[in-house]
Amino acid sequence: MASEELFEAEFSEEQDLEHQQAMETEEAELAETEEPLEITEESPDNPEAESTTEQLTEKPVTNGNKAPADNEAKMTQLPLARIRNIMKLDPDLHMANNEAVFIVAKAVELFIASLSRESYTYTAQSKKKTIQKRDVDMAISAVDSLLFLDGAMNF
Amino acid sequence: MVERIEDLNLPNAVIGRLIKEALPESASVSKEARAAIARAASVFAIFVTSSSTALAHKQNHKTITAKDILQTLTELDFESFVPSLTQDLEVYRKVVKEKKESKASKKDSNTAENANASATATAEEAPE
Repeated sequence: MASEELFEAEFSEEQDLEHQQAMETEEAELAETEEPLEITEESPDNPEAESTTEQLTEKPVTNGNKAPADNEAKMTQLPLARIRNIMKLDPDLHMANNEAVFIVAKAVELFIASLSRESYTYTAQSKKKTIQKRDVDMAISAVDSLLFLDGAMNF
Repeated sequence: MVERIEDLNLPNAVIGRLIKEALPESASVSKEARAAIARAASVFAIFVTSSSTALAHKQNHKTITAKDILQTLTELDFESFVPSLTQDLEVYRKVVKEKKESKASKKDSNTAENANASATATAEEAPE
């Protein structure tokens, strides 16, 4: 019994060590991958910020600790990786740091809320409770800052 | 073309939740309306990105920063977004900083735990 407990303890310790080494390896690889570009183009503060944020992103996959994932979930509801991929559709974009991706994600959330409320004003005018596509279309037509959406909605 | 369009898609569940949070409880949204808003959101993201890229080029730097995005939003007539985004950015920076610090302290405590475990193992072996 005592020896079994001892063995289990050692085994779990080894597992923790392996896990930690795996994570450290990932971090090292990440640093190696990103560092050359960052050294050339970004201030010293940014590489660390990016590195930390990448870890935030990685946490959910490892399932090591739920708290950070919750933190991230509260900060943005939209997945940052998806936002970054959308941003990369711009062929002229060279690189965006993590703060920029975060701000775009938050801006998109505000945009969705704003467009939803604007659309709902047309729904309410019709004495309805369900927003229809035509309500969204009318909202887009009515707001000057949404001119960029003309034509873009028909692809 | 198909691949490009699919790349634009944001997760439907998140879009639905964001829309619902913005509206009175009695309101609902048709599928077509939700799809239209989701598409508009993706186009908005690209629009802001390409405008920020152009701005950054004028200022001779290649990496887009949060500052570029905020300035671009002002120029695109979305200045009403800027105050709350500035606040969010401060929170974000704080979280990133705390995360880094807690990770450093976690490593220290792990080392301490290993030392304790070794001591315990040694103590258990002594009676035998």
